[in-house]
Amino acid sequence: MSLLKHAKQYLANQSKYAHLNAFVSLAEPSKLLSRGETSTSDHVKTRFHDVTDKPIAIKDNICTKDLKTTASTGILKGFTSPYDATVVKLLQDAGAVVAGKTNMDEFGMGSHSTHSHAGPVKMYRHTADEEKSAGGSSGGSALAVASAQCWAALGTDTGGSVRLPAAYTGVVGFKPSYGLLSRWGVVAYANSLDTVGILGKNVGDVGAVFDKLNAYDPQDPTSLPPSTRARLEKDSTRSSTPLRIGIPLDYNITTLQPAVRQAWLRTLRFLWEQGHSLHPVRLPATQHALSAYYILAPAEASSNLAKYDGVRYGSRAEGIDGTPESVLFAKTRGQGFGPEVQRRILLGAFTLSAQAIDNYFIQAQKVRRVVQQDFNNVFSTQNPLVEGTSESAEEVDKVDVIVCPTAPTPAPSLANVKDQDPISAYMNDVFTVPASLAGLPAISIPVQITPEDQTAEHADYAFDESVGIQVIGQYGDDKLVLEVADAVAKVAPTCQAQAGPTVTSWGASTLEENNSTV
Amino acid sequence: MLANNTRNAFVAVSKRPYICQSCLRRAKQLSLASARLPTRSPARSLQTASQPPAQDDTPFRKALKDAAKQQKKASKGGKKSKKAIDPRLEKWELTVGIEIHAELNTARKLFSGAATSVSESPNTHASLFDTAFPGSQPHFQKETLLPALRAALAFDCTIQPRSSFDRKHYFYQDQPNGYQITQYYEPFATDGHVTLYAHDFPAGSAPEDCPIKIGIKQVQMEQDTAKTVQQPPSTHLLDFNRVSHPLIEIITLPHIHDPLVAAACVRKIQTILRTVNACTAGMEMGGLRADVNVSIRERGQTLSEGGLSYSGVTGLGQRTEIKNLASVKAVEDAIIAERDRQIELLESGGSVEGETRGWTVGSKTTKRLRGKEGEIDYRYMPDPDISPVFIAQDLVNHLRKNLPVLPDRIVDVLVEKYGLSTKDAGTLLSFDNGDRLEYFFEVTNQLARARNIRSSDPEFSALGKAVGNWVLMELGSLYKDEEWSATRVSPEVLVSIVDQLLQKRITSRSAKRLLAVKFEGEERHVERLIEDFNMVFRPLSPTEYRGFAQTLLDEKPDMVRDIVEKGQEKKIKWFVGQMMARSPEGTVEADVAEQTIKELLPKAKTAE
Repeated sequence: MSLLKHAKQYLANQSKYAHLNAFVSLAEPSKLLSRGETSTSDHVKTRFHDVTDKPIAIKDNICTKDLKTTASTGILKGFTSPYDATVVKLLQDAGAVVAGKTNMDEFGMGSHSTHSHAGPVKMYRHTADEEKSAGGSSGGSALAVASAQCWAALGTDTGGSVRLPAAYTGVVGFKPSYGLLSRWGVVAYANSLDTVGILGKNVGDVGAVFDKLNAYDPQDPTSLPPSTRARLEKDSTRSSTPLRIGIPLDYNITTLQPAVRQAWLRTLRFLWEQGHSLHPVRLPATQHALSAYYILAPAEASSNLAKYDGVRYGSRAEGIDGTPESVLFAKTRGQGFGPEVQRRILLGAFTLSAQAIDNYFIQAQKVRRVVQQDFNNVFSTQNPLVEGTSESAEEVDKVDVIVCPTAPTPAPSLANVKDQDPISAYMNDVFTVPASLAGLPAISIPVQITPEDQTAEHADYAFDESVGIQVIGQYGDDKLVLEVADAVAKVAPTCQAQAGPTVTSWGASTLEENNSTV
Repeated sequence: MLANNTRNAFVAVSKRPYICQSCLRRAKQLSLASARLPTRSPARSLQTASQPPAQDDTPFRKALKDAAKQQKKASKGGKKSKKAIDPRLEKWELTVGIEIHAELNTARKLFSGAATSVSESPNTHASLFDTAFPGSQPHFQKETLLPALRAALAFDCTIQPRSSFDRKHYFYQDQPNGYQITQYYEPFATDGHVTLYAHDFPAGSAPEDCPIKIGIKQVQMEQDTAKTVQQPPSTHLLDFNRVSHPLIEIITLPHIHDPLVAAACVRKIQTILRTVNACTAGMEMGGLRADVNVSIRERGQTLSEGGLSYSGVTGLGQRTEIKNLASVKAVEDAIIAERDRQIELLESGGSVEGETRGWTVGSKTTKRLRGKEGEIDYRYMPDPDISPVFIAQDLVNHLRKNLPVLPDRIVDVLVEKYGLSTKDAGTLLSFDNGDRLEYFFEVTNQLARARNIRSSDPEFSALGKAVGNWVLMELGSLYKDEEWSATRVSPEVLVSIVDQLLQKRITSRSAKRLLAVKFEGEERHVERLIEDFNMVFRPLSPTEYRGFAQTLLDEKPDMVRDIVEKGQEKKIKWFVGQMMARSPEGTVEADVAEQTIKELLPKAKTAE
């Protein structure tokens, strides 16, 4: 298949799967096609994991000059950024084409990509009534990759926003170490946690995008400086086989669905068969990590979102806003933000208030530190950002990476999600949040569920279903995490993993007309 | 030697590379046109960081003069008014703490590479982050630390090896991010002080307990906000050029018990900031703004119960805060008004409420802005995008070593080396942003070179005293209603006039006349003018003096009688004046004339 044919297929899929609501804006088709025409067909094979001329979707909270950047919020309705985010620029410099901007939870706040000003993202795979969650907040990006509407996609991961949708939609989702990829031009949700992430159908593609983006950016004050990068490079030259794989016992919770547990066990067995050794590890702070996250992230969000007032850009409420005694945007903010965003702003404003900061924000920061120490205690490599050694546990118990599920369940149905109270929705992030709090590299890889593993709910349809298995590494061990992810990807790959744009992550052929479900 | 150092320090500082020279020029130009300052929102009451303009644009010099005038008036009113202290002040003690916000003299903004500006077209100096565009991030400009550090060192602060930036949240349209970046948890400088000497007070008003040491709790860096220009009834124009202009906030301890001391403290801080070149503009130009905390307590009573403590100072009464004071006079007047209001309140059985109050220039009392329940919870949060600032000791040492000579030290030098009175030294220091002082140094040193006098020679201080007189008194009266200029009468011209006078080639009357014509723009050289005006001093012989004097005395026998019999000594001066007026230029010296008259007067009979 030539590059031009691929380009046409991606475009066809974009119309075919438009009802999934994965995109909020699409690039001109001509932009994609013109690249296909100038390239020769053999490029496709020789440059398999190469971003050149590939259509890459960008989450709508990453700034682009050519397409609107709304972060799926009403207050940025119609907003066009005057500049490109560094990650967008790097991709374009590498020859990639921006395929469009993807739908998401408003400002990245949500786990199902339903809190969007552009309407919810909906995952239909085999039947018209199957309305599943694509995960969030990068649900649009994940589903765009899963439904072959683009070659790869950028998302952002604050507490699991790339890994969770990757797990639900059956694609690979990678959150690199905090500070490796530039956040200049990424609309901030909780900037001490926000990380640009990459979604792709296989680990190779994700790695190729990562290589293009992994560069110091002086525009981002939290970008890892070249000196530290050089140090990381030196540290990661150690030989990596066989690996010591950690099994976090604290992640084996009672609400873990059997299908997920089975996939986890299959993965561990597979890795053991490959000659790696398995070691139980304890991460006791995990149980507090989620609470800490839902204090810290809203606190930062309440601060970061204070800038949206419709004064300099963005939408304003109809009519006159403000009184001589008040600011000129009370009504605008009241109307521009959706309910979940308002909830988190209020939560954050509360936990930072003079009366509550000691018991909430400060405590949560302490928990965050403990979570990081938990990880440092089990990893065999020293956290390069922490000075001094913490030789608390014996060397024997230390591991190279941790392998665990990405989410406790496969993709839930949107009907169930709708009935959930916000706290239950927050529970989806229980396995992804610890790595975010510690700033560690983590990746979710789809592992197919065998028919035996499927629960009654899924057994009704005989289709490919996968769950996400997560690999977490020590800070800066991104290459190792990608390597292990490559091994995990061989446990039970999706049909899409090594295919062109003619197959979806759930194994449907995009060429079949009658496959269109709605 | 020392004089040279002082001058060089001034010169060196203004040539430091990180200071935007054009900004400096702008700042200077602006002072010429301060009356035309763009009007800023007068209705701004929410925040200290973005204050309305100095409504009271009274230049500092004028304020000084006014203070001196008032002082005179008070003393003219007889000893009574000075002694008649309000009995209530005997009972109640005032306590004041001050927070001063000053614009730092930097080329770039605190968190973006955009240039700072004073009077550029609106919204031409604003980066993406300054206007809070989505996805933009702060870029801390570490050069902005230098003037801040100089200021902190001048206040003898401890420089913290580690400091950090926090977000202070409140909503206002002039604050694009919805928060101000400041240093709340870890300021970069702490535990300093400022000392007030007698010369820091307007003439004759220095308190008896001078010198007064006022503790400085901390100095922190923070961002300024946008400028709001209101166009009534409903238009608010925003200029983001000022957003993120670096400020320092100087917080004093509540160590002040007198409104006059508070005013002197603000003035002194302003002078120090200017001397170490930390700030672009003085208070009179809106470059400095102050908030004051005011409380009162009954003297001699220890408020062990119910006593409040601020910054470690205990036993204080309930304080109120008065925000947005834009001039030294406003600071003093607002404190007096608030003190009196609190005393009245307590004496009539009421109680002071912790609240924020405002003050408008010319009013009699402070005005409540918001009460305790209306206080803003700023929700201080460390900024996750800005890493802590680590300041190395060698940088601090270097800056301390190269710190420009501070005003107090300059006063000492002026008194000890240059022979000025403390009062004249203080006045010289306070005039024209230090330009007059620089002019003085220039003239004195040139003159010393011309007369081959070294700064270590005893004659040097006489020279300094003479020059000080000319620079302050003679030039002072010429420039009374004009803007100071160091070039209108160049140092060289004054040097040559004073030199001729000291050589006794011309009389002091001729010297004054020469100065006046040069001031009016006469282009001929001083030497030439002396020739042309026939000013060369040809002293009369003692006999000529006596003859001249006797003629005059004979003309006015009744006046001679007044002097001799009624003791009207002042009339001698009239005769001296007549001798000066009737003789050709440069022939009669006043002191010789007076001496001659006295000798010729008949001796009073009663005195025998």
